[in-house]
Amino acid sequence: MDKIDETQVMRARDFWASVVMIAVSLFFLWKTSEIPLWGGNRAGVTGTDWYNSAAIVPLFIFGGLLVLSLVLLVISIRSGGAQNALSGVGIGWDRAEVFRSSTIGLMLLAYVVGLVPRVDFILCSGLVITALTFGFYGGYTQRALIACLAVTFAGLFAFVSFPAQADWNAHGDDWVTLILWIFLTLLVLSKAGPERVLRYVPFIAILAPLILVCAMAFGFRQNVPARGGLIFKQIEYHYYVTLRPLWKD
Amino acid sequence: MDFIFSQLAGFGSALVSLTADPLTYLYLIASVFLGITFGALPGLTATLAVTILTGFFGNKIPLDYSLIALLGAYVGAIYGGSYPSILLNIPGTAASAATAMDGYPLAKAGRGGEALGLTTTASFIGTVIGTLTLLIFVWALLLVSKNIASPEKALLALFGILLSGTLMSEDLVIKGWIAGLIGLAMSMVGLDPLLSEPRYTFGWSYLLSGFQVVPVLMGAFAIPQIIDGLRHVEAGKILALKGRILPNLRSIRRYLPTIGRSGVIGTGVGALPGVGEDVAGWVSYGVGKTVSAEGDKFGRGSLEGLLCSETANNACIGGALIPLLVLGIPGSPPAAALMGAFKINNVIPGPTIDPEIILRVVAILVMASLTMFLMGLFTARVFIKILAIPQTVFLPVVMVLTTIGSFSVGGGINDLYLMLGVGAVAYFMNLMKYPIAPLVIGVILGGLFDETFRRSLFLSDGDLSVFFSRPGAAILLVLNLGLILSQLPAAKRVFLRLKGRSA
Repeated sequence: MDKIDETQVMRARDFWASVVMIAVSLFFLWKTSEIPLWGGNRAGVTGTDWYNSAAIVPLFIFGGLLVLSLVLLVISIRSGGAQNALSGVGIGWDRAEVFRSSTIGLMLLAYVVGLVPRVDFILCSGLVITALTFGFYGGYTQRALIACLAVTFAGLFAFVSFPAQADWNAHGDDWVTLILWIFLTLLVLSKAGPERVLRYVPFIAILAPLILVCAMAFGFRQNVPARGGLIFKQIEYHYYVTLRPLWKD
Repeated sequence: MDFIFSQLAGFGSALVSLTADPLTYLYLIASVFLGITFGALPGLTATLAVTILTGFFGNKIPLDYSLIALLGAYVGAIYGGSYPSILLNIPGTAASAATAMDGYPLAKAGRGGEALGLTTTASFIGTVIGTLTLLIFVWALLLVSKNIASPEKALLALFGILLSGTLMSEDLVIKGWIAGLIGLAMSMVGLDPLLSEPRYTFGWSYLLSGFQVVPVLMGAFAIPQIIDGLRHVEAGKILALKGRILPNLRSIRRYLPTIGRSGVIGTGVGALPGVGEDVAGWVSYGVGKTVSAEGDKFGRGSLEGLLCSETANNACIGGALIPLLVLGIPGSPPAAALMGAFKINNVIPGPTIDPEIILRVVAILVMASLTMFLMGLFTARVFIKILAIPQTVFLPVVMVLTTIGSFSVGGGINDLYLMLGVGAVAYFMNLMKYPIAPLVIGVILGGLFDETFRRSLFLSDGDLSVFFSRPGAAILLVLNLGLILSQLPAAKRVFLRLKGRSA
């Protein structure tokens, strides 16, 4: 019985997925129609034939996607997917699971879009490691919410305060992130009595990004995000001015 | 015979030059250790290990060291998956799913040490079988592949995507094909390869160069894994390891035919484009169950059952590299990540690949499997301790690793946006049981398919018979059509009727 239920849920989801894919295929087929197919001027070359067109393969792909999406739609309707598609139970809506994945999604979005480009990498990664571990270790909903609010606030603050790339080296968002990180770390340590694993979180949160960013910048000599960040700027200065001359000279 | 000796001589000199370099050992030990750790931690996979290391070592160190790091991690991760399978009844990687069926009952019966020792030995022998097959067959195929022209390449790329979609689909096969087409569609973004005409760039200059491979790999493999794995899981009880790990020669000799057969099956499955170690493990397990005298004991703690899957998944590595090196078509998802590393090093796998690289790959695989063997036998207890680390502790670190790795390859923040976007799509696809491997293979092979398909039409003045007038192309076209038609309900009914009649 369980197996049948799971299949029905999947078919209801397939219904929506196929509808979305039909829309996406049609949109991209329309975009493909902007690429000249029958003659016309292509990249400065006129009078060429249909088989030279840059639209041929995309037409085949999006046409194929449209056909397969229609087949999937038919399969889902025949299996009762359309009937279940409008009810939460039908598509297997699980509130706890949606909360869990959305909080993680929000944190990742805030980290990648708001924090990484603007805030010192050690600070923002330390905050994210602390938040993700604290939020999801043990499965406490309230902790996940607090962790998500902390990271989202830091990301949103950085994004709103310094939207232009020219301002990304400013340190206001670094300080906000640092304060939130300290706040979360204190929370983690306050719960670390009964949950021993949490004792190691501050060390991991500091050491992992510190080692990674230093290895990348000084070991592999690669570009790292937010070079002018609060902490990394100091590390880079002392590496080149204080440390490196010790073995270079 | 001369051909085989010349191959062995070439392999020998590659091996000597690698062993003479002290840095080889540093990269080898570190990467195999990291690989076994990734494999042993449920929630991390071999593909993720190779993908993350591609971000780190892909284009930052000389190609030889980069290959050592990636292949070492690949070999280690496939083997590492056996630890949680045997001791926790949780497969560390999909490739070790069949291992748990017999590994855990054996550990429960107090034979965990023996199981782990034999698994380590079988994984080593399996990797060597796959590697030697790679050494011999890659050359024969390279000679044949010199005659492969654009029509064959286009049809082969399509076949790889379709086959991967067909075999990797957990639910409906059509979902695997849709995933492959989404991957192909993603590869259409940017300037087209023949006329440099911009496609689907929406005025964003970053998209002119198309989707970069590493952020796509990171997004497709790492982000869904992180979102899915960050949940509270009751820690399973790790069974105490009883008995000595070092296997005795008598048991190895007894199971050698099983190991040999599984090695050949694993290599064969690996050589199929786009089919990974998990399929190899299950196929070998299924064959073993049918042909073995103790087939009825499979699933209840049979050493033979354990060795069937563990030998095959490691042998699959060498097999998966055959289509990658000969045709530029990855044989498994980790091989797709490896192809990403080749690409960012400006090495184009395929008929024009430098033969020296193939010899080095073979030498590295042999050294990596030996390192894995020694580590497995003498440091197994270290990896068992690693099993106790909760997912919620190491996955946030993986997120940071993924971010900096993805950023450093292209050096731009746009790569991170791409990674996140692909990750979100891949997460929803996972949720709806769409396989991710065909998508990634589609992204990687899309450029090749576009270029060769259009070049074929261009050279034949738009004559479509170019896709069936050449013998190779005709065979591949029949294979593609056969694969599609075999999934139609009417064809399935005919197969069932024929099967019923023959039974």
